[in-house]
Amino acid sequence: MDILESIKMATTTLVANKLRSSLTMLGIIIGNASVIAMVGIGQGAQKLASEQFESLGPNVLFIIPGNQNAQRNRDVPKTLVLEDAEAIVRQVPSVGGVAPQIQTRQSVTYSNKNTNTQIMGVTPEFLPVRSFNVAKGRFFSNQDVKGNTQVAILGPDVVKKLFGNSNSIGERVRIKNISFLVIGVMESKGSFLGSNQDDTVYIPLTTAANRIIGRTSPYGLEVSFISVSAKDANSIGAAQFQISNLLRLRHKITTEDDFTVRTQKDVLTIVGTISGALTLMLAAIAGISLFVGGIGVMNIMLVSVTERTQEIGLRKAIGATQQDILIQFMIEAIILSAAGGILGTFIGVGGIMLVGAVTPLKAGISPVAIAIAVGVSGGIGLFFGVVPARRAAQLDPIVALRSA
Amino acid sequence: MQNQLSTASEALSTEFKPVIIRLENISKVYGIGETLVHAIRDASLTVEQGEYCSIMGASGSGKSSVMNIIGCLDRPTSGHYYLDRVDVSQLGDTELARIRNIKLGFVFQQFHLLAQLSAVENVMLPMVYAGVKPGERRDRAVEALTKVGLANRLNNKPNQLSGGQQQRVAIARAIVNRPVLLLADEPTGALDSKTTQEVMDIFTELNESGITIVMVTHEADVARQTRRIVWFRDGEVLHSHLKPEDINQLAVS
Ligand SMILES: Nc1ncnc2c1ncn2[C@@H]1O[C@H](COP(=O)(O)OP(=O)(O)OP(=O)(O)O)[C@@H](O)[C@H]1O
Ligand SMILES: [Mg+2]
Repeated sequence: MDILESIKMATTTLVANKLRSSLTMLGIIIGNASVIAMVGIGQGAQKLASEQFESLGPNVLFIIPGNQNAQRNRDVPKTLVLEDAEAIVRQVPSVGGVAPQIQTRQSVTYSNKNTNTQIMGVTPEFLPVRSFNVAKGRFFSNQDVKGNTQVAILGPDVVKKLFGNSNSIGERVRIKNISFLVIGVMESKGSFLGSNQDDTVYIPLTTAANRIIGRTSPYGLEVSFISVSAKDANSIGAAQFQISNLLRLRHKITTEDDFTVRTQKDVLTIVGTISGALTLMLAAIAGISLFVGGIGVMNIMLVSVTERTQEIGLRKAIGATQQDILIQFMIEAIILSAAGGILGTFIGVGGIMLVGAVTPLKAGISPVAIAIAVGVSGGIGLFFGVVPARRAAQLDPIVALRSA
Repeated sequence: MQNQLSTASEALSTEFKPVIIRLENISKVYGIGETLVHAIRDASLTVEQGEYCSIMGASGSGKSSVMNIIGCLDRPTSGHYYLDRVDVSQLGDTELARIRNIKLGFVFQQFHLLAQLSAVENVMLPMVYAGVKPGERRDRAVEALTKVGLANRLNNKPNQLSGGQQQRVAIARAIVNRPVLLLADEPTGALDSKTTQEVMDIFTELNESGITIVMVTHEADVARQTRRIVWFRDGEVLHSHLKPEDINQLAVS
């Protein structure tokens, strides 16, 4: 009997048991769809994160407190200070702009409304270094920073929450019971790695340090991190090297650095590693459901062998060989798995397109994931079909015929 | 005495007709250890080409056991079985499957049709395993179904057919590969007397067209329509060449 006959025969049986066949396939469909969707979404997240970092401007470097190897340490040293930023401006020639930043979360109030948002203490340099723009009003000046003025520029989401559609510029908001004059509204920037950059209030660095957080470092005005832009793409390496040397001198470091200078490339690598691991984890979870689907196929095939014992006996009595029966049951299992795999692929791809349409995640349809998923589900059919098929093939015709 | 006689007559007739079935000292033991059942004890039997033979005997006398061996569905515990002069007790599973496929036709009490297939598809099944070309299968299946009087029921599913019709489909399936031997274990056991007669008419017709037939039956009326009766008792061949007329006496005794 050739393989085409076997396929025809298996299809007849599967079609005759429509409900059972489709329920069996369901496991494989779900497994396959989730593998493809998860991998696609994971890859989409990876791409989105990379794009966001690239949107920071290609020449940006970050100086963050704490040693690279001790990033998990919660007590970051309080040694990164405003004076470091000023020294970098003065002494590092490969640097274009330097933007020290202080970050905290506070509740912001306007009349009877309030919202908990991110407070960012910055200098005017923040705008060019991080490619931010003001949409309405103005940003504060170096004068404001020197004078500790109580002015604020609001992110568009903060405006929406506190002011709705009415005008915000010229109004006063309160942070920690200190009154701030709203002088501008930022352009929308969307979210960055899941944190909403539009839900932020910008105030002068000094005001943030002196009025909101309070000075705590003995070394000067402590900052959360410093964004630096290199003069051009070729001076990134030089900037990283020079900044590190300067800070080591300033911090009198002999052994381990108490700061880390990261280039955008470093950050991208880290993001890639993290989101790669995430993708892998999603794929693994989805893979488990595919495996469970495979066990479903085996389960149904085993039931089917038991239920169809008489049929197997009859087929043997009229001349089917062990191999004929083996192949018939294997093909039934493979058809179930492969058809489920293909259907699951369509659903997975549809899911990805849906996610792409309603979220900024541009989830990739990965041909590799599809090939693997369909291949794996076919393989699952083969693998989980073997046991029931062998059991069927080895039935004794007489015993099989007698079973009621 | 009786056995000696029948052996002599067999020897005589072999001169003229080829032997299809030759059982030599066949035994069949079921089970292991304490619970051994000797279903067949040292039975020998010969059936020649063209014979129309029924096997009778009390329940449990080993009729089905011997039929299963003759039908290559089971192997004897000891002894030799020559089917069409081939010693099948020496053959492997695949070769036995091949023999069941092309040399034997088997009809069961329970019909054993596949429910999801139509009459003609059921009859085509043995040809699928025989590797008959697809184009030829349907023609031959229709021909076989016509022979059993079901030319107008080709596309009915088994559950759309009466018991007698189902058994006739099963007979068509059994003869479609043109076997040398047609076997039937109580083929009328599940039928009423009217349909029993329909089925027996078909068997008789088939035998007249030259097919060798061996069937097991409980019913004297059925056995009487065959031309030779083999009587089993306790796994042994008690009479190997009874004539239909002898039945009345035996049934009484
Ligand atoms: N698979 C088996 N395992 C154990 N014992 C069996 C098996 N098949 C048959 N037997 C026993 O072998 C003996 C002969 O059984 P067999 O089925 O050949 O009888 P039979 O003549 O066909 O009876 P019936 O007229 O009731 O069909 C019986 O005692 C039966 O119980
Ligand atoms: Mg029986």
